[in-house]
This record gives sequence, C-alpha cells and structure tokens, in this order.
Amino acid sequence: MEISLLQGLLITLAVMVIALDNELEGFFIFRPIIVCPVVGAILGDLQIGLAAGALVELAFAGISPVGGVTPPDAVITSVMTVVLSKTANVDVTTAFAMAYPFGLLKQFVGTVTCTVFAFWNKLADAYAEKADLKGIYKICAISLCITTCIAGLITFLSVYAAQEPLKLLIESMPEWLTNGLGVAGGLIPAIGFAMLLRVILKGRYVPYLLAGFLFASFVELNNILPVAIMGLAFALADYYKNNNKQVGGSENEGI
Amino acid sequence: MKESKKKLNRSDITRLGYRSLINQAGFNYERMQNIGFTATIGPALEKIYKNDKKKLAEVTKDNLEFINTHNVLVPYLEGLMLSLYEGGEDPETVKKIKISLFGPLAGVGDAIFWFTLMPIMSGICASLADQGSVLGPILYFLVFFAAFCLRFPLAHMGYSTGTKALETLQKNTEKVSNSASILAVTILGGLIASYVSLSLAPVIDVGNGNVISLQEDFIDMIIPNLLPLAYTFGIYYLLKKKVNPSLLIVGTIVLAVLGTFLGLF
Repeated sequence: MEISLLQGLLITLAVMVIALDNELEGFFIFRPIIVCPVVGAILGDLQIGLAAGALVELAFAGISPVGGVTPPDAVITSVMTVVLSKTANVDVTTAFAMAYPFGLLKQFVGTVTCTVFAFWNKLADAYAEKADLKGIYKICAISLCITTCIAGLITFLSVYAAQEPLKLLIESMPEWLTNGLGVAGGLIPAIGFAMLLRVILKGRYVPYLLAGFLFASFVELNNILPVAIMGLAFALADYYKNNNKQVGGSENEGI
Repeated sequence: MKESKKKLNRSDITRLGYRSLINQAGFNYERMQNIGFTATIGPALEKIYKNDKKKLAEVTKDNLEFINTHNVLVPYLEGLMLSLYEGGEDPETVKKIKISLFGPLAGVGDAIFWFTLMPIMSGICASLADQGSVLGPILYFLVFFAAFCLRFPLAHMGYSTGTKALETLQKNTEKVSNSASILAVTILGGLIASYVSLSLAPVIDVGNGNVISLQEDFIDMIIPNLLPLAYTFGIYYLLKKKVNPSLLIVGTIVLAVLGTFLGLF
C-alpha cells in the first residue's frame, strides 16, 4: 500500500506526542507495544501493529536509557517496522531488521542534541544569577520544542517523503537478503534479553531461568502468563523461605 | 533567623507531581537533568524566597549543578528538599543531602522500573499482542499510568517524612528485589524459548530418498530451542566483555544474512 499525505501527517503528529513522552519518561507511551498499534491503527491495520508491537517491544526489552546514555531510538524503529511492513508487504520480522537503521540514525541525532544542549547551562547560570526562574522555564519549553520537532521531521521524511525510494530499495532486494533479515528479526530479541540478564542474572537465579526456558519449550503456551505465574510461585517460595530464616536467626540470637 | 513559618501549602507539593514531568527537559550530557529539575521546583522556590532575591539566586544556581536521578521517584527528593528549604535549612546542607540522595534514588528506581516492572510487563503484554489482543497495549498503559500516579504521594512523602523514609524504602527494595529478580528471570527464560528463533536449514541425504534434517531430526531431538538459548548466552557473554550492544545488533543482522546466503539458516 501507499501512505497517503493524511496518514503521513497523522503518524507524524502521533510521533511528536510520543517523542515528547519519550524525552520525559512520563507515561511510557513511547514503548513499541504502544507505538506500533497506534501506527497500525492509523494505517488501518491494527493486527500488523500488534504483531510488530510484540516483536519490537521484546527486541527493545533490555535497551534502556539508564545512566544517562542515549539508546537506539525505539519510537522511530517501531514506526518504520509497521510502515515498511505495510508499504513493502513484508512480514514484521523482516521489516524490523530494515527499520533498525532508522533507530540508530535517531540515536545519533539524540546524542548530538544532548551534547549541544550543554550550551544551555551557561544561559541558565546567567538567569540564576538574576534569580530569573522564568528564563529557566523558557529553556525547558524551547528544548522540548526542539526535540519534539526533530522527531516529527525525521518521522515525516522517513514515513512519507522517502516511501518511494524505500519501496524500490526493498523490492530490489534479492530473496536471500529478505529471508536473512527475517532470520535476524528472530535473533534480535536475544540481544534485549541478554542485556536484561546482564543486569539481573546472578548464579543463584540460573535455576529459575532454566525452569522458565524448559517450561516454555515443552508446554504449548498461548501467552507468557503461565510462565509468569510459575515465576511468581518461585518468588513467593523464596520470599517466605528467607523470611523464616530471618525469624529463626533472630530467635537463635535471643537464646 | 526564624523561618519556620509555613510558606508552601498542600497544593504546592501536589504540583511537584505534575511539574516533575519536565525533569528531563533540556537534558544534556554536561549536567544531565539540572535544568528540568530546577524548573520543577522553581515556583515553590520563588514562594519560599519571595522576599530574598539574593538567596533565591543562590539556591537556583545550586540546583543547576549536575543531577541524574529517576524520573518517577524524583518528586520524593524534591518534596524533601523543599521541606528543608522552607524550614530555613542552610542551602549548602540541602545541596549536600541532594548530592548524597539522587544516586541511590536512581538505583532504586532503575531496579524497580527498568529492570523488574518493564521486563515483566513487556513479556506479558507482548505475548497478548502477539495473539492479536488489544489488551496487551492497554494493560501496559494502565500499569505505567499507575506508576505516573505514584509521583503525587511520593512528593508528599518526601515533604513530610524526609530522609528516614528513603532508608526504609531502600531496605524494603533490597528485600523485594530478590523475589522480583526471580520472577523476572523465570519470565526471561520463557521469553527466550518463545521469542528467539533460529533453526538450521541443511538436510543430509542418507540415500534411498531419505533425508535427515539437522534441525528437526537432530537438535529438536536433544532439546528444542537449544540454538536460541545458546545464542542468548553468547550475546550475554559478549555484553559481559563490554561489547557495544549496537554493534551486537548490527553483527546479528550481518550474521543472519550471511548464514541465510550460505544456506545455513
């Protein structure tokens, strides 16, 4: 299908609101699980939005802006996954692998703005000298306008203006390349999961990881909830075991 | 100098909940959230130092120094600092308290939100969305909306109870985070099995028109999803070796395309 001007503008508008939330981390509507269905709905295909949302959300599960770093941009990656999947008529995994470079591009742009914004500090210090807090509010408003407009511009260019060349590019790709990108789409969630594991995995948690893995490998599951409930059971068991230990410990100390 | 007279009312503190949304405005690598943080508490500061422009300037400058903390928990710190400023505490002392608290607060917040709540919600909601249910995104939104609502009680908590509450918060977080990690890790195990996919394409001709598929007749017989698990642990190992995640993503794409080209996957 082709993206109409109206659809392009609607997506751009939605992304500007979402990008504002992404900057501020207020309501977490910038996560792929929300962005993809929204874009899908605008393009009249909610189901593709949901499928893309599931895939991209998990791929970005471990990619977080913790510690002040700017991660690859999940928003534009989500948008382009849905858009490319519709316009080039490829499945969402292939579309995701092709959308990922847009996320890297936006990450680069984000890094530049966060560097350039350091110049605000001189101005802010000067306002502070005069106890002029209005000046500081103004800096906030201008910064948010800039980042929001940049996100809108990049989105409009990627979604609407560049759709013809992108379509041609995708159509001219040989089959092994599209298939290969599909394989990549199946592997990329592993990176998100590995990043999370790096933060939370400790030796004593490995049994639970294996239990969850085996359960989902051998039992036909409609969704991950049964695994979550099993995890909850493990967590509660551990919690009460530790609580009892603490009670026992204090009793011993009493004696 | 007695300054114990109340200058802020309840709604000034509640306002921190809304205003803290701009905590990341003007985010920059030099001092990170300094501008948004100052702008959040600005109106309250103007009220406290209404008759003392010099002190307002001094306090504003103090707050423009480096800060990087958690966006949902930040109202707690702001409520606490305002109660101290209002009580006539020396700004230098407040600054020291702020510097000692924003790091631990970020640690607690990241542990709760990014590393526990998010993987659990991502896992559950993505699997719902994957079945074509709109419930996935809706549930996700509701849970994080609830997290947003936490900002208001947090601001009041910081304002009324001060530093002591943070200690309790930290102690409880440690206790709960162990259980939460177990839950998250179990779900991650399930997610690896459900959402990472890799299978080998080659088949071996054993004659008489019979073929053995490397994947179906060999690996799946040992244990299904062995390759996804191995790949995830391979990436985990590389991350531990401090390989850049973006490089790993690009590397994965190249590997997948190359493998497909050679007929491996």
